[in-house]
Amino acid sequence: MQLLLCFCPNQPLPSNFCKAVRYARPSTGCELQVDGAAYNGKGGGAMSNTGPAKKVTVYLGQDQQYHGESVYAAILEFLFYRKVAGATVTRGIAGFGADHRMQTDRILALTENLPMKVEFIETPERVAELLPKLLEMAGAGLIEVQDTTVVKAVERSEQASSTPRKQAGTAKLMRIFVGENDKWNGKPLHKALMESMRANDIAGVTVYQGILGYGAKRRIHQDSALHLSHDRPMMLSVVDTEERLRAFLPVLDDMMHQGLVVFSDVDVIKYSHNDQDGERRQAVRP
Amino acid sequence: MKRKGNAKMLRVYFGEDDKWKDKPLYRTIVDKCRELDLAGATVFRGIEGYGASTLIHRSHLLTFSPDAPIMVSVIDSDENIQKLLPFLDEVVSDGLIAMSEVEVIQYSHQDGLRS
Repeated sequence: MQLLLCFCPNQPLPSNFCKAVRYARPSTGCELQVDGAAYNGKGGGAMSNTGPAKKVTVYLGQDQQYHGESVYAAILEFLFYRKVAGATVTRGIAGFGADHRMQTDRILALTENLPMKVEFIETPERVAELLPKLLEMAGAGLIEVQDTTVVKAVERSEQASSTPRKQAGTAKLMRIFVGENDKWNGKPLHKALMESMRANDIAGVTVYQGILGYGAKRRIHQDSALHLSHDRPMMLSVVDTEERLRAFLPVLDDMMHQGLVVFSDVDVIKYSHNDQDGERRQAVRP
Repeated sequence: MKRKGNAKMLRVYFGEDDKWKDKPLYRTIVDKCRELDLAGATVFRGIEGYGASTLIHRSHLLTFSPDAPIMVSVIDSDENIQKLLPFLDEVVSDGLIAMSEVEVIQYSHQDGLRS
């Protein structure tokens, strides 16, 4: 199963999303759940009630690593993307752990493995759900869970409640392979195709540039500083309903003289932003 | 000229730093596709991603080791794609191979049609 996502480049979403998917993935299976609501009906509102709760404290060393990054940062990210109500990292100024080596922040000692503490408060059910992954991430560190009572719940801003609209269903994915130097009426073909699709109300198009490839003519197209001809392979990826794409095919016939068009079935999970956002984008258009 | 039909699409995912006998792995795969006379192959470089090792691969201006994610996409008939699979088993040690059913429309110049 392949998951294909299209983003607006205005925000650094792919980077965050990459992490979100990485941590949202249940550790036992490979099935991805993209809808954040799957974890929590109110999207992080778990601690909006007062009453009994659990406080989890993880004790770590500052230079402990988890898959190439600091454990405390990895745990904080994990908690963030699993929509835990809140978490705090504190760095101690001195301490010792199981290995009984004293760690201090005095410059002369030059030790960098200072004690770190990650703390968060959640409902007992959420804590039980998060613990297995925490145990794996904490490695040699210590994890402590204590009963606590929430006297005053966090106040949430209204902004977080505007969850994106979701549209699911089956659709077609059309991939078009052309060369970077292909032209249509003196214009780069991939650009002309994209503009034509936009004019024909196709839902969305993304243009990818390949770094190496060959096609029907058996000539290798490569992007290299030493080659003066930059005829790189280009791919346009288009997702829309089958009828709309079929209706567009005559236009495609007209514009393309060589190249490849490939159709495949996809399941669409569409997130569109609210209308204000759409209007703003319209206004920016020339 | 326009041709229609059903075909298979094969996608291979691995890292840009992966090598096969001192040659970039993606180059090795494209060369093999040509040798096997497959219809075409295209290599794409991703800007960010992670794989089975859950290490984030990112090409960054400041880091000099850009192990960016690479995807090789090959489209041909099922039997031609099958010819490539044993070779991929041999050279792709750490990566993912995905295959899907596709419907193809091919445009070409009159003389450019391949049998």
